[in-house]
Amino acid sequence: MLNVTDVSLSFGGLKALDTVSVAAAPGAVTGLIGPNGSGKSTLLNVIGGVYLPDLGKVTLNGQALPLGRPDRVAKRGVGRTFQVPKLAHRLTVFQNMLAGERDHCGESLPNLFFRPGRVARQEKEASGRASTILNRLGMYHKANDLAGSLSGGQQKLLTMGMLLMADPAVLLLDEPAAGVNPVLIEQQVAFLKTLRDEGRIVILIEHNMDMIANVCDRVYVLDAGSVIASGTPHEIRANETVIRSYLGQPANTQEV
Amino acid sequence: MIDFAIYSVTVIAIWSVLALSLNLQFGMTGLVNFGQILPFAIGSYAAGIGASLGYPWWVGATAALIFAPLFSLAVILPAQRLSQDYWALITLGAAEIFRLTMLNTPSFAGGADGLNVPRFGDSLTALYVSLGLLAVSFFFAERVSRSPFGRMLRVLREDEVLASTLGRNPIRYQASISAAAWIMAAAAGVAYGHFSGYVAPTSFTVTETFIIWTAVILGGPGRNIGVVCGAIIIQLLGVSSRFVAQWVDLPSDLIANLRLASFGLILVVMFIYRPQGLIPEAREVHDAERD
Repeated sequence: MLNVTDVSLSFGGLKALDTVSVAAAPGAVTGLIGPNGSGKSTLLNVIGGVYLPDLGKVTLNGQALPLGRPDRVAKRGVGRTFQVPKLAHRLTVFQNMLAGERDHCGESLPNLFFRPGRVARQEKEASGRASTILNRLGMYHKANDLAGSLSGGQQKLLTMGMLLMADPAVLLLDEPAAGVNPVLIEQQVAFLKTLRDEGRIVILIEHNMDMIANVCDRVYVLDAGSVIASGTPHEIRANETVIRSYLGQPANTQEV
Repeated sequence: MIDFAIYSVTVIAIWSVLALSLNLQFGMTGLVNFGQILPFAIGSYAAGIGASLGYPWWVGATAALIFAPLFSLAVILPAQRLSQDYWALITLGAAEIFRLTMLNTPSFAGGADGLNVPRFGDSLTALYVSLGLLAVSFFFAERVSRSPFGRMLRVLREDEVLASTLGRNPIRYQASISAAAWIMAAAAGVAYGHFSGYVAPTSFTVTETFIIWTAVILGGPGRNIGVVCGAIIIQLLGVSSRFVAQWVDLPSDLIANLRLASFGLILVVMFIYRPQGLIPEAREVHDAERD
């Protein structure tokens, strides 16, 4: 269980998050929606350890996450993707995947020279897993392409693949479907469902309401840094406040 | 002529080690070190000061290999919260501070007159030591380059935030590769001190850092064999300028400056037409057969 409790964060005079509380259960997809600038990505950055909030805390299974330290939060099993995919553009797809490997013993200089066998073993084992995940994502044929040469949609898939290399308990996904073609979106939806069924905590920012309705078990709506509503996607679609601030009226029901 | 060849190859080997050292920092990790001459100077001065105090050569050499990584941490750790631009400024400043300190402490470091360093027994010893050092450095750099460690260095070069969201603490990688690279450059400095027989502040100016950078940019940042080729070309240009002086009737100081100007031209041309260098970084290819 991931709990965000009363998190507030200001940038100068701007209150980006105002006593936000969110709970995300394992084996479920939790959606974050809201207008641009409502604080969704900021919240994900707080959970992921990039921003240190002014107030509040985030706990994972009852233990506080070391906020403000993205590397330590990641080590606790929290993985995230960014709205604009972050990749090592001048490395191949396969090398990017291998960079996702957690606690690689080959990333220590002494081990390279004094325990080469152990390094080679872990590298081989990681390569096997990277191949499996790339196959699962339908990207194995791109293994030796430079990550920077991939299309936007494929880059998003690759960042997801890199996350999975670390086998995270929590996935924070920032608009995985934005700018992705419909076929890839379907693939991603199916993939998200698999991840959910594996018992992971998935938190998803998305503007595509069909995707939200399709995969989310619970949705939080943010506006101007506050949670204005939460509930099942069905409840949210009927919520007056949400309709006013974010979803808008369907064209044919608007009063003239 | 054979003496001159031995001299040239020794110089090339020493500068190749410096280029490999900068390549580990800049080419692989993206650390802009504008004070690359500093660890080299530390090595030479350790050899010189050790000798002036009457110690055997290995005392100076050991001191160099201990002080260089300590200096690297002293320079890096305060810079860790700053962006890359400041990194360049801090390393540039550190190298100048060290040089000026040596210049202004005549009692200890010889001041502007410099210090005498015992020379290698003969020029062949200098050659073998330098080539041996180059071989070890090259082996080390290649092992790092093709390893998971080198991969993470490159990820850091591309995007530090990405590395930290993958659970890596950037400074741990930056500090350990810098320490290793500075040890390498300091060893080259020790060899250079014993090879030239003399250390003085004029050997360690910003110009020398600029020459190492030219070798790396020309050869191919991120590619070990490339930067060694870059160092060979740059140093051949350097040693050949004395022949040019014999053929053309120009004052020798002008030729020395034209040599530097030609390095500047090389940098500009490379940045515009071939930023990846003569031998670009290789793509690590995954062989599906091995799965």
